[in-house]
Amino acid sequence: MAPNTHTTLVTSLIIMILFVLARPYLLSLLPKEKILATLRSLTVKGVLTAFILSLPVAISVLCVEDNAFAFSIPWFSTPSFDIFFSVKYDLYAAIFVPVALYVTWSILVFATSYMKGNPKIDHFFLFLLIFLISMILLVSSNNMFQLFIGWEGVGIMSFLLISWWYGRADANTSALQAVLYNRVGDVGMLFTMAWMATNLNSLELDVLFNNAGNYNLTAPLCGLMLAAAGKSAQFGLHPWLPAAMEGPTPVSALLHSSTMVVAGIFLLIRFSPLMDGNQFALTTCLWMGALTTFFTAVCALAQNDIKKIIAFSTSSQLGLMMVAIGLNQPQLAFFHICTHAFFKAMLFMCAGSFIHALNDEQDIRKMGGLFNLLPTTSTCFTIGSLALIGTPFLAGFYSKDAIIEALAVTHLNSCALLFVLVATSFTAVYSLRLIYYVTMGQPRFSPLLAISENDPAILKPLARLAWGSIVAGLLITCIFTPFKTPVMTLPPLAKTIAIVVTVMGLLFALELAKQTSKQLKHSPNPFTHHFSNMLGYFPLVFHRMAPKMSLYFGQHLANQMMDQTWMEKSGPKKASNTNESASAALTAAQRGMIKTFLTLFLLTSVLGVLIVLF
Amino acid sequence: MTPAHFAFSSTFTLGLMGLTFHRTHLLSALLCLEGMMLSLFIAFALWTLQLNSSSFSIAPMILLAFSACEASAGLGLLVATARTHGSDRMQNLNLLQC
Repeated sequence: MAPNTHTTLVTSLIIMILFVLARPYLLSLLPKEKILATLRSLTVKGVLTAFILSLPVAISVLCVEDNAFAFSIPWFSTPSFDIFFSVKYDLYAAIFVPVALYVTWSILVFATSYMKGNPKIDHFFLFLLIFLISMILLVSSNNMFQLFIGWEGVGIMSFLLISWWYGRADANTSALQAVLYNRVGDVGMLFTMAWMATNLNSLELDVLFNNAGNYNLTAPLCGLMLAAAGKSAQFGLHPWLPAAMEGPTPVSALLHSSTMVVAGIFLLIRFSPLMDGNQFALTTCLWMGALTTFFTAVCALAQNDIKKIIAFSTSSQLGLMMVAIGLNQPQLAFFHICTHAFFKAMLFMCAGSFIHALNDEQDIRKMGGLFNLLPTTSTCFTIGSLALIGTPFLAGFYSKDAIIEALAVTHLNSCALLFVLVATSFTAVYSLRLIYYVTMGQPRFSPLLAISENDPAILKPLARLAWGSIVAGLLITCIFTPFKTPVMTLPPLAKTIAIVVTVMGLLFALELAKQTSKQLKHSPNPFTHHFSNMLGYFPLVFHRMAPKMSLYFGQHLANQMMDQTWMEKSGPKKASNTNESASAALTAAQRGMIKTFLTLFLLTSVLGVLIVLF
Repeated sequence: MTPAHFAFSSTFTLGLMGLTFHRTHLLSALLCLEGMMLSLFIAFALWTLQLNSSSFSIAPMILLAFSACEASAGLGLLVATARTHGSDRMQNLNLLQC
């Protein structure tokens, strides 16, 4: 088809998508009462329509020459600086939006059943909708200002949704944690925006990519990496992601597994032409990712809350995506984002189904034998876990194996390679642990629970995402032509290293699972278990130490150095204290005690004798 | 200073210090006063011998007599204190204390 036809089609479809997505929100602003009750189904239908409409857009983007559509409208104009509203619907945005919409649609259908008893369920759907619009704004923007609007939008919606049950103190503190850690990242983002605005006089990405060769790009890239570390929970800014599991399960499935946390990685993918030549930035990304994936995989091994284990696996996969960016392979990272969305959302929804069926029980030590009681959910859980660990030819295999192959053939520090391989084996270990505790064995919960999964609103989305987890990898591999040629010939060990490491992890975990019914040592060694269970003691130390140091320092400066010094130690109070102590000392000698008199008498006589004699 | 001179000088000084630095009982002050009187008596007795002034021989006897009077006056004061304050502890004599 001619380019003009494509353009017309895409433009009209994008406008329809935005309208369909915005319609429930706009309708909610009307004061009519009966609209509120229909918002739920309106939202679900809207997202489904948007998904169907975004598929031709994706196909058009693939057919067009540069694989991109872009437009730009002037928005603000000051004498020295212009801001545009510019959209770039390139391959990354075109493939991410259908994936995100498909996953969101499934999650919304699931949420109609999961949040059924909640009186504010329509607000919940509106929040999710606003989040979705912000995310689409973020991925399609060609302008750092617009990207920042989407960035902040997803951050705020994350805050509001994590503290959905705001009567719970833990939920409030977790939401605050999320906002604060994201804010630390936002400082980096603002720094990069300021750098761009001052050095290039524009916030447009096209302008940046054209003119970037003349500048030393280390500073803005550091800002971007800080922003990505904050939003995507890299090591050092990671504690908010497991704490974010305080929110309802649909929130965890949408925000904190598929969509919001990949915003940081997406930012780095967008700016990958800049990172191409800067070896410092690439190495930093590689190390940040390797450390994150290893550390969070270690932490996941000894958690007991089903949602926390899945949250840590999300964090580990985010580290893997960061490693892919550090290898200068942004397309592989993007590929992993898309496949990861499917199976991670499905894992969370299965967890939600388990939790709901067991009457809000989240501890895996109190689950068991659910394979016979909730067969569909357990099956989907197993499929999702197999996709996560990279079982050949499921969705996760195509992206994860590609990243690890690229890792094996690139000239880099072998310690980073070791971290990633160990983390991959740990993925297999904790996935097997999860499946073993939840679905196998004998039940460890009260037999009085009425366990059922009869609700089609739960089963259908699970089935859809299960199909997605199986075929998405293959589909995306078939459509994409890679920008960088993958290495075609490898030694056999390098080619199969991911599978070998995963199988070793599985065998190790099976052996450990067999030991749960035996007692081989007379007393356990709690050191490594406690390290892993307490998340490496990172939140314990830093969440207490940093505020305490700040408050302590503030108290010392304001209270003691200023007020106390000037008023009490040197000013008026000093005079009064000196007078008081002097007069107290003097009056001590004048109490009218006989001893004082006699002592003075002796002293005086001795003094007199001495003066006369000498 | 001859040893005898040193002996009664030190006795006098020690007694004076004991009189001024008494801690609990008034009686210990009076005893120190008696010690002082005794050292003065020895001093007077040695005066006549060392300085060969025989017209001063009566002085120790007069001192002894007056010392006895004074000791009895002191003891009378002690008894009066014991009658009014119940004991001779120094901490009870605090009427002038502020």
